[in-house]
Amino acid sequence: MLESIVSYGLAVGAVYALIGITYNVMFSASRVFSFTAGMLGMLGGVLGALFITRLGLPVALGLIATVACGAIIGVITEFVAVRPVLKNLEQHLYVLSTLAFALLVQQFTAIEWGTDAQPFPRLFQIEDSLVDQKFWLPVVACVATIVGLEILYRHTLVGRAFLAISEDNYAARALGLPEQRLRIASFALAGVIGTLAGFTGGEVLLAFFGNQSILNFYGFVPVALGGMGSNRGAVVGGFALGLFQQAANFLVGGVFAAVAVFVVFIIILLARPEGLAGAVSARRV
Amino acid sequence: MSIKRRQVLSGSAAGAVSLATGLASPAIAASEPIRIGFLPALTGASSSTGVAMNRGTILAVDEINAAGGVDGRKLELIVRDTQSDPTKAVNGVAELIHRQKVHVIWGPLNSGEALAATPLIARESMPQVHPCWVDTLIDVKKYPYAFRNAPSNQQIGVAANHYVVDVLKHKKVAVVSDTTGYGTASVEAYVPMLKEKGATVVYQGNVDAANPDLKPELLRMRDGGAEAIMPWSVNAGFLARICNTRGQMGWDVPIVGQTTLGSGQTKALLEKPEYWNKVYSNNFRNCCYGSNGKLPPRAAAFVEHLQKTKVEMGDTLLWWIACGYDAPHMIAETVKAAGSGPKDIVGYWNKLKAWPGIYGDITWTPEQHNGFPDDEVVMCEVNSFRDGAFNLAPGYGS
Repeated sequence: MLESIVSYGLAVGAVYALIGITYNVMFSASRVFSFTAGMLGMLGGVLGALFITRLGLPVALGLIATVACGAIIGVITEFVAVRPVLKNLEQHLYVLSTLAFALLVQQFTAIEWGTDAQPFPRLFQIEDSLVDQKFWLPVVACVATIVGLEILYRHTLVGRAFLAISEDNYAARALGLPEQRLRIASFALAGVIGTLAGFTGGEVLLAFFGNQSILNFYGFVPVALGGMGSNRGAVVGGFALGLFQQAANFLVGGVFAAVAVFVVFIIILLARPEGLAGAVSARRV
Repeated sequence: MSIKRRQVLSGSAAGAVSLATGLASPAIAASEPIRIGFLPALTGASSSTGVAMNRGTILAVDEINAAGGVDGRKLELIVRDTQSDPTKAVNGVAELIHRQKVHVIWGPLNSGEALAATPLIARESMPQVHPCWVDTLIDVKKYPYAFRNAPSNQQIGVAANHYVVDVLKHKKVAVVSDTTGYGTASVEAYVPMLKEKGATVVYQGNVDAANPDLKPELLRMRDGGAEAIMPWSVNAGFLARICNTRGQMGWDVPIVGQTTLGSGQTKALLEKPEYWNKVYSNNFRNCCYGSNGKLPPRAAAFVEHLQKTKVEMGDTLLWWIACGYDAPHMIAETVKAAGSGPKDIVGYWNKLKAWPGIYGDITWTPEQHNGFPDDEVVMCEVNSFRDGAFNLAPGYGS
């Protein structure tokens, strides 16, 4: 039982964490909470199965094609659903525009791909070792992503520019940083991370258009738990959610497992509205 | 006030038109198309049934129209995809009845949607035939215009429970479903029936079909001492995960349940082909291979016909296509014999006796709108799948 809780819990937790990071990357660059993160995760699974199983591409090429599509869709999201509403951020129109764009893509996927869950290919043709690849793949992807982001943000000029616009968008612009291009790059990066989540989690979640709503919600929980904008918080929150959800599956089972997750989520938000790792920000006057 | 010549002429013209319209109306009624409102789920999580039945229905309508229709009246199939969503099914019903003015409704094809749509159809006194299994969908007092051309949950449950308890001789059973209307209603209906037969239900649960890991549930079943698993769902992903998890656990109990267990979509999601061994699903004698390896003559001829007309069978179930094919034929025959008024249709159906469908022989009476014969509900061996049909399960009425 413990082995199953840990293996499945960490695997789905890693996928949730990656979707949480996707939310964060888009949020940091634009202050827009884009509800396209789950869509990107869903597309990672569907496009991976499309490129590798249906079109017969090698795994490496299939991965590159999938994340490239993710980047393109990320950029389209910025142009279509985010840029037009940036001037009215306080009206929260982005909730409608990003959700509408995500639903549009989901319906298109349903029509073209089908509405039944379809198999995702085994990425490595190796014998099952101690831990099956479907469990460690998302965890490796999550660790690689967080390490990559740390290096990007702390050790590169572009990364520091990302941080600058996420800290203070107006000040960054005043310093001459190309805010618009950095925002586009952030959405492309989010597209890569989101599709990577769906691709590496494909063997667990399958290639299924319905994964969008699950990932949209369960990917949001780590962000809320970890604090908005905090990638480390999203990783901790994602793994905690995965493990708790799996433990609840074992302990209470059935539909009660989902209820248990929601109850704990609400209790934590009531106790710490800023998230477990978030800090209460002082209001500027 | 003077009357001008133009006004006289226009008045005469209007009178002539209205006279012509009035005189022509019976002729129009006699030649107007027979509008069938069709409510399949062509998309969404429960669409596998609808997609297959749609193939049969379209084939039948095209054939009937190509043969001249019903006394010169064409069948007009007005399709509204319910998207596996009860709300959309209800919207579809309202549109079909009020805007499209259909004569009869065929569907919805999934119980969850039919549970929402049937009361509305009944309120409008619209003849309805559907293949949904949930027992409460047929009630001659509440829904006198609703008829079922498929077995009820009760019949399905009796057949499956009989197979587990009487044929396989297993007394400890796990009953599981997804959280849809169909799934939960099935568990609620079958558990008491199993207990009545002397079986012990060691596990009973409704699980979210999107849950990627069903091992906790199967461990609970195994710890409870289950000797057979009975899953009730039309979600191929959910059913495949049950088969995969049983295989990964190296657990050798039979899985006995819903027909989707044997669908092509379920097969595609199996991690290993052998995970389909010892899986038995509901099926129907007319659409199963007998001990001689052959289909009954009526179904064999139908399969040949499907192959000639290039209707895809390999990814779905023969009985779904057959049931979809039978409904327009039955409607056409009804209109030919009795007319297309609601009371004409219902009056004819209330006296229908052993109507010979490809799927099954349907009999209805004013007191009983469940028309499928008990002895045609059987179990089959899912790993014997070919051309959408299966061998009868071992030890079961072959």
